[in-house]
Amino acid sequence: MLLAQLLVSGIQTGLLYALTAAGFALIFGATRIFHFAHGAAYALAGYGFVFAVRAGWSWPLAALLATVLAVGFGLFMDAFVYRPIQRHTGSFFTVFVAAFGVVIVVQSGIEIGFGRAFVAVTSSLTRASAVLPGLYLARAFWIALGAAAVLFGALGLFLARTRTGIALRALAENPDLLRAYGLSARRLSALAFALGSALAVPGAVLGAATTGLSPSVASHVMLVSLAASVVGGIGSLRGAAAGGLVLGVAENLVVSVLDTQWSEAAGFVVLFAFILFRPRGIFGAALAR
Amino acid sequence: MTPQAMTPPLAVRGLAKHFGGLAAVQGVDLDLPAGLITALVGPNGAGKTTLFNLITGALAPDAGDVLLDGARLGPTTPRQIARRGVARSFQDLRLFDHMSAGENVLAAIEPAAWFWQPGDAAARRAAAAAALADTGLTAAAGALAADLAYAERKFLSLARILATGARIWLLDEPASGLDPASRARFVALLRAAAGRGITVCLIEHNLDIVTELADRIVFLDQGRKLAEGAPEAILRDPALAAIYFGDRA
Amino acid sequence: MTAYLLNLAQLAAIFGLLAASLNVLVGYGGIFSVAHAVFFGFGAYAGAQIALNVAPDVLLVSAAGGLVAGVLSLALALPALRVRGEYFVVASLGLQMVATTAFTEAEPVTGGLGGLVGIPPPQLLGLSLASPWAFLAVCLAALFGGLAVMRLLMRGSFGRSLMALRDSESAAEAFGKNVALLKTLAVALGCAIAGVAGGLFALQMAFVNVESFTLDQSVLVLAMVIVGGAGTLAGPLVGTLLLLLLPAALSFLPGIPPTEIGAVQQAIYGLAMTLLMIFRPAGLAGRAQGKR
Ligand SMILES: Nc1ncnc2c1ncn2[C@@H]1O[C@H](COP(=O)(O)OP(=O)(O)OP(=O)(O)O)[C@@H](O)[C@H]1O
Ligand SMILES: [Mg+2]
Repeated sequence: MLLAQLLVSGIQTGLLYALTAAGFALIFGATRIFHFAHGAAYALAGYGFVFAVRAGWSWPLAALLATVLAVGFGLFMDAFVYRPIQRHTGSFFTVFVAAFGVVIVVQSGIEIGFGRAFVAVTSSLTRASAVLPGLYLARAFWIALGAAAVLFGALGLFLARTRTGIALRALAENPDLLRAYGLSARRLSALAFALGSALAVPGAVLGAATTGLSPSVASHVMLVSLAASVVGGIGSLRGAAAGGLVLGVAENLVVSVLDTQWSEAAGFVVLFAFILFRPRGIFGAALAR
Repeated sequence: MTPQAMTPPLAVRGLAKHFGGLAAVQGVDLDLPAGLITALVGPNGAGKTTLFNLITGALAPDAGDVLLDGARLGPTTPRQIARRGVARSFQDLRLFDHMSAGENVLAAIEPAAWFWQPGDAAARRAAAAAALADTGLTAAAGALAADLAYAERKFLSLARILATGARIWLLDEPASGLDPASRARFVALLRAAAGRGITVCLIEHNLDIVTELADRIVFLDQGRKLAEGAPEAILRDPALAAIYFGDRA
Repeated sequence: MTAYLLNLAQLAAIFGLLAASLNVLVGYGGIFSVAHAVFFGFGAYAGAQIALNVAPDVLLVSAAGGLVAGVLSLALALPALRVRGEYFVVASLGLQMVATTAFTEAEPVTGGLGGLVGIPPPQLLGLSLASPWAFLAVCLAALFGGLAVMRLLMRGSFGRSLMALRDSESAAEAFGKNVALLKTLAVALGCAIAGVAGGLFALQMAFVNVESFTLDQSVLVLAMVIVGGAGTLAGPLVGTLLLLLLPAALSFLPGIPPTEIGAVQQAIYGLAMTLLMIFRPAGLAGRAQGKR
């Protein structure tokens, strides 16, 4: 039953990774910006949540603050970091270094404010009940499942059915077309950053309420989003979601054969294998060169 | 024997390439006779650049062959093609932007990957200097390629090819946007090259330049070769003119 | 005080060499590796093992470090041949993460989290280099020797070929360049020199553990190159001096509790990286952007 138990917790991790990675993919798909600082949005949301709960706020209010922080951070990055860089060079490496700098700033800011140790809010979410003999499911699992189902459903409808959603998908492909429709590429790119960053919130809040957070989540989540996107096929929402799930499961399953130390590395072994043998990912059409 | 009767240094037979549902090049036959300038003309999207990419191994053809001196080439890479004496330019130039003009030309004639180059370094420097001089870039040799003026960048792209000593040149819109003075220099350069026996194929939209320069025209549309022959004959054909000028209705 | 300064100078020389070696990849080859600390680490562990089990001879230790890192650089060359741009950055991030775990877990070789301790004082062909001045001289010799080699290669045809494929891979190939071999050699060269720096680092510290070979270290070295100016010979040195002196300077600043110095320093160089990319992407020693 151990394997099933690990699989279940893998799915729980994976669903949250999937949401976070989908946020990254949404941003990349719409703006072609490789948002390396996506993990910082997650970290800000998570720590904002912890801060608010400790200050006595109710959970919904604290989650709202987390969302505001994440969205605000995304908008800030779009307007004050990526846009100025794209105005002069736009070389991806410049973007990468600038974003990484921001991750470092956020991470060390958190370290100064909250210390290096893990922080968490106490909750009953980790309390598990047996669904089968020997197989336990925590309440957090159902929340992760629910959040993923609702958000992916809503996102799918939004992107497929609404004018703005369709425009968002067309942004990267054909900015001129949008202008012809009277839509502003700048506003759409801001929207992509806002939505994409908001998708990191469920993972951050659940993370704060279950496993806890440490300052290095920013880079860890960044790596996970990148890895999930590559595994799934860069720019594909479906791919990022699948990639996130694969990584979450891989991280948890590996514990059954190897030391827990390897659990994080397992995801990157998967990533490395994909880059070497199938760089276009599971769903990717062609490799952008 | 007339040049036409000899084996052409470069020929293609039945070359075809699809991109998804789009047939970019469909069964093209082409001979580039030695020492002649062949102009490849056709509307945008006709498949001209794709044809170059197929010849140079930048793309793998779906079908067909490339023949060098009459011998079938088989699957190949840009590197192997370059080593067989075929040099090409790019529509978007692809200069080595963060290197000086002089380094651009030198880099084009140092094919060995190891930490040193075999052969005569002084001779390579001389060849590079000569190519820069021929293209009027001597004074600009120290400037970064990215900082050069438009026409200078066009000529630098040509200087890289000139220096290689390649015997077959494939030039993708090398003269587009040149001012009249630069254009005259360009025409003279290509004429001189053809005079030395270099086989030239150039893609060109400007029909004045084509008339002035080309010995033969090959007309491409929607991936097919529609016509080939002497410039006067092709350019007088009203049906081709209609296609060329987009009067397709 | 002198001891402190000598120590800092030795570290500056070692990190200068490390940053310069990364510059071969990033600045000249356009191979944007965020895994350079891995090869620094390979060199350091290899050097430490030689020092512990054979002899703490500087030449032997650096040769071993360079050799091991150079050979293992294939792990980086492989993805560099398959993908480029963002994909490669992601691949190198992955490599860095896996290597950090491997360093922690491979206890028989690396000593795990505790690391390898008790590395004897360095020697040179039987002569003791226990004096900090003597070891500083060796570090400086390695730095300037390494710089001379890199300068020679980067100003020559190898450097031109590398820069050519950095600027346009397809054009470089069209002029007959062997892109795969060039990249492999550039990666091997850069990583081997990083390995030499790693060997010296092991001797300098007298112990090594995984802390020095993490993603943070890779990013620090990358920041040194970027802040100074990638693709210039002086840039990495300028960047190294700035970023190594920063914590030293901060410790003299009033109002920062000593426990927070690390975090404040991180924040400052993170901020510096971001601002520099926005306002002066070519780095401090780099030339301002061209017209285009
Ligand atoms: N790598 C590619 N992938 C997909 N489609 C391509 C690719 N390269 C070219 N095409 C398509 O193939 C067709 C022919 O393109 P090509 O560049 O050969 O035209 P061209 O004759 O050079 O046109 P132009 O005069 O505009 O340069 C075009 O419709 C183009 O969009
Ligand atoms: Mg073309």
